[in-house]
Amino acid sequence: MSSAIRSLPLDYDLTLDCIHCGLCLNSCPTYRQSGRESEGPRGRIHLMRALAEGRLEADQDCVEALDSCLVCRNCETVCPAGVQFGALMESARDHLPAPGLLARGLRWFGFRLVLPHRRVLGFLAGAVRLTQLLRLPQAIAPLLGQRGIALAHLPVFPEANKRRNLPPICPSTSERTEAVGMLEGCVQRQLYGDVNRATVAVLNACGADVHTPQDHACCGALHAHNGDLDEARRLAQKTIQAFEDMGGEPDMRIVLNSAGCGAHMAEYPRLFAEDPLWLPRADAFAQRVIDFSAFVAQAERAERLKKQLAPLAPRKVAWDDPCHLCHGQGITAEPRALLDLIPGIERVEMPGAGSCCGSAGIHALLYPAESNQLLDAKLEEFTSSEADVLITANPGCQMQWHGGFSRTGKATRPQHLAEILAASLAQGPQVVSKAKPPKKG
Amino acid sequence: MTKNWIDELRTIVGPRNVITGSESLAWESDGLSLVRGMGQAIVLPLDTEETVLVMKLLAREGVPVVPRGAGTGLTGGATPVEGGVTVGTARMREIFSIDPVGRLAHVQAGVVNSDLSVAARPHGLFYAPDPSSQAACTLGGNVANNSGGPHCFMHGSTTRHVRGVKLVDAQGQVLDLLASPADPEGLDLVGLITGSEGMFGMVTEVQLNLEPLPEEVQTIIAVFPSLDAACDCVSEAIAAHIEASAIEILDKLTIAAVEDSIFAAGYPREAEALLLVEAEGGALEVQETIDLVLQLAKKHGAMEIRSAQDKAERARLWAGRKGAFGAMGRVAPDLYVADVVAPRTRLREIVALAIKIAEERNLRLGNVFHAGDGNLHPNIAYDRRDEDEVRRVLEAGQLIMEACIERGGSLTGEHGVGVEKMTHMCDLFDDDDLNTMHRVRDALDPKRRMNPTKVLPLRACREVRNGGLPFSPMGNLGAKT
Repeated sequence: MSSAIRSLPLDYDLTLDCIHCGLCLNSCPTYRQSGRESEGPRGRIHLMRALAEGRLEADQDCVEALDSCLVCRNCETVCPAGVQFGALMESARDHLPAPGLLARGLRWFGFRLVLPHRRVLGFLAGAVRLTQLLRLPQAIAPLLGQRGIALAHLPVFPEANKRRNLPPICPSTSERTEAVGMLEGCVQRQLYGDVNRATVAVLNACGADVHTPQDHACCGALHAHNGDLDEARRLAQKTIQAFEDMGGEPDMRIVLNSAGCGAHMAEYPRLFAEDPLWLPRADAFAQRVIDFSAFVAQAERAERLKKQLAPLAPRKVAWDDPCHLCHGQGITAEPRALLDLIPGIERVEMPGAGSCCGSAGIHALLYPAESNQLLDAKLEEFTSSEADVLITANPGCQMQWHGGFSRTGKATRPQHLAEILAASLAQGPQVVSKAKPPKKG
Repeated sequence: MTKNWIDELRTIVGPRNVITGSESLAWESDGLSLVRGMGQAIVLPLDTEETVLVMKLLAREGVPVVPRGAGTGLTGGATPVEGGVTVGTARMREIFSIDPVGRLAHVQAGVVNSDLSVAARPHGLFYAPDPSSQAACTLGGNVANNSGGPHCFMHGSTTRHVRGVKLVDAQGQVLDLLASPADPEGLDLVGLITGSEGMFGMVTEVQLNLEPLPEEVQTIIAVFPSLDAACDCVSEAIAAHIEASAIEILDKLTIAAVEDSIFAAGYPREAEALLLVEAEGGALEVQETIDLVLQLAKKHGAMEIRSAQDKAERARLWAGRKGAFGAMGRVAPDLYVADVVAPRTRLREIVALAIKIAEERNLRLGNVFHAGDGNLHPNIAYDRRDEDEVRRVLEAGQLIMEACIERGGSLTGEHGVGVEKMTHMCDLFDDDDLNTMHRVRDALDPKRRMNPTKVLPLRACREVRNGGLPFSPMGNLGAKT
């Protein structure tokens, strides 16, 4: 063993849970893509263990093998030993350098300067919208290769009034039974404000008042996934604080309509494992976090919602499981059950619904070719499922599918689960707050 | 300094598919994590044509070759060898064709075992051999190890299902043994290649038999107050000519590990031993088989007997069984999966002996095994960082193996010989036997470059016997960290 190699202080004990059986291999999108053991869960764990033991130097090759991971956590769903792969990878990346200029730039500029700040986010969204209206991304796309194609097919940021805050309290539209908190999110609020409004409409119809903290931007999920645990901790504290300050019952549920944020927020306590001051607050907070579909699918709420749903024009819909919903939170039945409540539509299954679409936070930006390849396989499945509409529940996935449909010339656009539920509500008579299906292009 | 021939490899398969950097460490072992090695490179060809070019080049350079599938093997068969190149099939994932009438599949060697059954299902067919690692292991690897699995009790192991292979030999020549419609004329070379553990060449394509999905399947579990009782029940069932498709036993430690995992199957935790039996076929014969099992289980003191109510429950019962090895990761960081065969009339005796051997060495032993075949898997949980524990594990493994051989059993049921059991070949075979095997090998690979230092001991057995463990590569590598 060479003493020249510095052993990395990543979460070594987590690596010991892996017994090297390999059952994870075929679940891993990057392993299936490249066939490289170093790009499968078992190999990556092996590398991380070797880094911690000081047997391996964190050089460029090694860093790339770990960085190319989608952190989709599909491997956790199939791991008999219960390896906490997501937690392990976050811990490892926190100690590794970003593998390239773009990743470094994103970490520094995007994660530190943009995402946490509402005003900067708003300004930037407006600026990007302007370039999109001028078709600048399409103009420079040829210079940027695969990345340019992705850029040219991003959804257009909506006009300013669709990016506005939700009111602090949106009252229930049926008999009031409870109050919930809701996170508007960073990208979600700027790009998919309609999704937030649809979420509110559905929650209101279930009998819930919806409270939203007014000066909050980002939960820090992207930071944690990409090796910036310090900033992730800071943002987690801000988030916890914001919801504590919002008032209402201390155990009021916090509903998340973005799978990535939900999975991360439910795991906040992990960030504060060694902080006796914050750990109890993070624990209490995590208890309150619940995914939108899990919340609404609860029997009484679903029953109440069902009575207000009116038929939609006949169409086939396919549910695509966001990784951080099905693998991160183990939620697969609830969104399907909710779709099955909507009269008029037929739900079809895609065999690979639980496999990553290639969005994976900033993976699509860093590895555009690989990301597009993953999406192409999913697009094929969508086509052969004969579905008309794709439904998912995470802004990254929605952007990715949007790009795929646009790139391959398909007229359909992905929708959030809340949007199609709200559309069905909107057909009914008793709805007050109206949510239009998203207009994109 | 990059060697020139490695650049040539890059030209053949593309630069991304030749791995020489620090990440090569990910390939340093297969499912036997105790044994590790580093070669010069890992190469991942896409198809037979690329494999031919790769193998020709490696032959020209005189470089040893280690074939590798998914690296789920448990005897170190895919451990890299010093100075060698690992040639992997992980990119060869294409199912060329499924012939529903001829019940024949033609696949690339890197196709994952369970993916074939998924692809065959719409035709009402499935691929029968089902190693517990079937969700990850490759069909090429199955051919190399003549892999088994729970349902091989009825269906037979891989060799019964291989109709043809395409092999690229050590010189890069293609031996095309893809199936002729009837029995092969002349020598059964396919039979020779199946189970040859990568010593005759790289299998790049396989033709496999598919079986019709059974009309009726029933799965039951029976809870026993002791392992002895469960073993006796199986021995008597075998004597009564039972026609089940799978007969498995899990012990208490294994049940606990599975029930703590995401594969929790609803196995009763209070059970000292659990018998898992499946029967398939026509409704009538399935019922007869199940009735017989029920009768024998009661006779041997089963406390509870439960039958899977639907497909989902059956799938859960099996997922638990197949996740058992990995689930042991909850007990300790490493697991030594022994793979020995005992005469089915002496199950109880050998299992009890394995428990005693482990207890004497203060080791944690979990038993989960293909009872119907007499194929035992005493699993010893350990931590490879603890040198003394590693020594005790290897000693226990050796004693269990010797006990099986003494009682008329065998040293491997389905995992192969690999590195782990190489020196123990001498316990089962004498110098004449092994020399014959070497001559067969030399006929196909005269320079002995294919998967060297595995399976067949190079020293005379006399030396190995006199030397004992120190010669064992396991003994030397165990301590290396």
